[in-house]
Amino acid sequence: MIGRSVLDATMATTISNVDWAEKNYLVVDDFVGIRQLLRESLRNLGAKNIDQRIRGGEAMGLLSRIRYDVVLCDYNLGEGKNGQQVLEEARLRNLLLPSSVWMMVSAEKSVESVMGAAEHQPDAYLIKPITEGVLLTRLNRVWHKKQVFKMIDQAYAEKDYLRAAKLCDAQIEVSKVHEIELLRMKAALMLKSGEPEKAREAYERVMQEREYQWAKAGLAKIRMANGEFEQARQIFQGVIADNRYYIDAYDQLALTYQNMGQTEEACSILERAAQLSPNSVMRQRSLGQICLKLGNVGMAEKAFRKCIAIGEYSIMKTPDAYLGLARVCGLKNETKEALQLLVLAQREFSTDQIQLRAKITEGMVYHESGDFRRARKAGDELEELLSLSPERPDTTTCLDMATLLFAVGVKESPVELLCYVIKNNHDNALLLDDVQKIFDKARMSDEGSALIRSSRKEASDMMNQGVLLWKTGKLPEAVDWMRHARAALPNNLRILFNAAQILISHMQTHGFDEALSAETTEVLLHVDKIQPGQQRFAQLMEQLALLAPSTAAPADGEAQQAA
Amino acid sequence: MDDTPSSKELFLFLASTAHDMKNSISVLSGTLESLLADASPRTESAYPQMAHMLYQTKRLNDNLIQLLALYKQVGKPEYPFDIQPLEVGHLVEQVVSADRILLDSRGIALEADYDPQLVWHFDEDLIIGVVGHAINNAIHYTRDKIRIAIAKVDGCLEIRVEDNGSGYPAAMLEAGVSAMSGVSSGVNFLTNSTGLGLYFSSEVAKMHKHRQRSGSLRLENGGQYGGGCFVLTLP
Repeated sequence: MIGRSVLDATMATTISNVDWAEKNYLVVDDFVGIRQLLRESLRNLGAKNIDQRIRGGEAMGLLSRIRYDVVLCDYNLGEGKNGQQVLEEARLRNLLLPSSVWMMVSAEKSVESVMGAAEHQPDAYLIKPITEGVLLTRLNRVWHKKQVFKMIDQAYAEKDYLRAAKLCDAQIEVSKVHEIELLRMKAALMLKSGEPEKAREAYERVMQEREYQWAKAGLAKIRMANGEFEQARQIFQGVIADNRYYIDAYDQLALTYQNMGQTEEACSILERAAQLSPNSVMRQRSLGQICLKLGNVGMAEKAFRKCIAIGEYSIMKTPDAYLGLARVCGLKNETKEALQLLVLAQREFSTDQIQLRAKITEGMVYHESGDFRRARKAGDELEELLSLSPERPDTTTCLDMATLLFAVGVKESPVELLCYVIKNNHDNALLLDDVQKIFDKARMSDEGSALIRSSRKEASDMMNQGVLLWKTGKLPEAVDWMRHARAALPNNLRILFNAAQILISHMQTHGFDEALSAETTEVLLHVDKIQPGQQRFAQLMEQLALLAPSTAAPADGEAQQAA
Repeated sequence: MDDTPSSKELFLFLASTAHDMKNSISVLSGTLESLLADASPRTESAYPQMAHMLYQTKRLNDNLIQLLALYKQVGKPEYPFDIQPLEVGHLVEQVVSADRILLDSRGIALEADYDPQLVWHFDEDLIIGVVGHAINNAIHYTRDKIRIAIAKVDGCLEIRVEDNGSGYPAAMLEAGVSAMSGVSSGVNFLTNSTGLGLYFSSEVAKMHKHRQRSGSLRLENGGQYGGGCFVLTLP
């Protein structure tokens, strides 16, 4: 890391000399005068390649063809997509380079700029009227910050969170102005690595400097993760009292209440958050789902309809809103509209599980409206769908499906589903309780607990066999056995982690191997998808990265080139 | 604000009108600046009038920004207040470049005295608004020199805007005190041209809090040039 400070010293002298003339620019604003003004300011910086668009949809068209270095986009674009929706879509569709600068322009200080939660933040917000000095200063600042974060972001993208955190520490030493942002990043990385204590240290270091709301909220999130719900609740409420627009604190407070079993309080907090910041697809979905759980059909309907409306131009649009609204219609005895929504959901979304999920909802709608004959028919059709493929949906969907199938009188396939869930989660005590309850409700208590026992044993035997082979030094056999175990139980966390561990162990003993390394990455990324924030994930990712002979060197070379 | 449909409609209407007005003023001052940048008093007979138009446009712009911020409840927890660690050099860069053409067109020299690498925590857009307002105000009262000085004083960041005019009259100095204390004084905010700016600036100052200390604003006479001084202190 000695070379790094030298690198930074040279960077400081070059930042003001960024060559803004050779970059590609896109200006999106619906007011012609502002487009001219911005274009003139950019020309004064020497810019030659400036494209302009009026509407969000038109901007998307250009963004999908051309990689821009700088995008200046108005938040409010009239009809169609707004600036935030254009940004979200561009990011999710990978239309932006990591080095691209996105500046969101708005007429006044926006709630979005401080609410902290939005996953896809622009690099900077600019408030009108924009002067040339403000534009240039902030372009330079964002560019410099991107240089500081370049290697961290790269490690983050590779999901090597522990390496990214170490890079944060190194940068903190040399970059005073970015210290706070680096600590924020480090805390997020430690949370993703299942190291809440280290995240807490980073947040507390920030708090010593200055009481930032996000650091306070971060400390409360750690409390929540530790099960200290009451303390978490108090801190989140304090954050809201200090800053009414810090929307992330509302979402977290609602989650805290849910963890405390206080669903109604959770609902009323989400309702307040949705009033302050109504245009979040995710928040309206959560609100709808929690209202449905509470039986507040009217409010659930409102939330799901709003969710569908704002989703129209958003890449975040979700089938959950359609399925939820169908349930609402069922509860209101409007079966016909419910079925229309299910057809619509299957037309609008092409995810592989939509057909299955729509069928589950159809069964629920019939069941709840008392049409037991049609509910049973939906159950039979579900069973047929399940027999077509050995793949099973996520745990929640499996449990929903089993509950419904039992309720409509189907026996075999829900038992198979529940056993599948147990085998893939054999050491998750809370989930096993939920499964037992479903068996109880189906009047299968004893049979159910016997099934739970045997399924758990099957899973742990399978795992132990692999560990035994590993411990006795039979590495190739252990690797083979874990492949077999993974095929049988594709979502079992402990089996997946052990499989990765054994693969790494194999490479540590017998040398690096491209194919084995790729296999390990695949296993680990799958774990992180089904259960993010695991300590073992971060540790294994780091071990794996260290095995690869060539990763560290080229990354350094690249950074030097950029500087 | 209450949630009745008519007040919501009015709010949307106001918001979109304000958006429009901001766009128009941006275009107006941008056009004037580019005209002035290409002209000089010798080539353009209307040069002094254009310079004055730019000054008035900037005032209009200042006032609009301040009114909008106050309408969005600057000073209350409701305002989307956004503190970040920032380099003082960037603050000066942005404020000075916004007024460069206006200063040149009126033959006023600006001196700046600060450590560009000093890092402080503040709401950038609000503080640019306050300091920009102080400079525009100084442009009106100064003879030919303005000084902006930023330094760490007694654990706080002190931002001074000084001029070499004849200084603030006693009533104004008092208005500065009462803007901070929130007590109405003999000077009526509503009729005094500087009242809005002072009120806005003091609200912004007070929003900046750190460990029991709040920001503050004071007006005084003296400084390096012996004229008026606008002093903003941030914890």
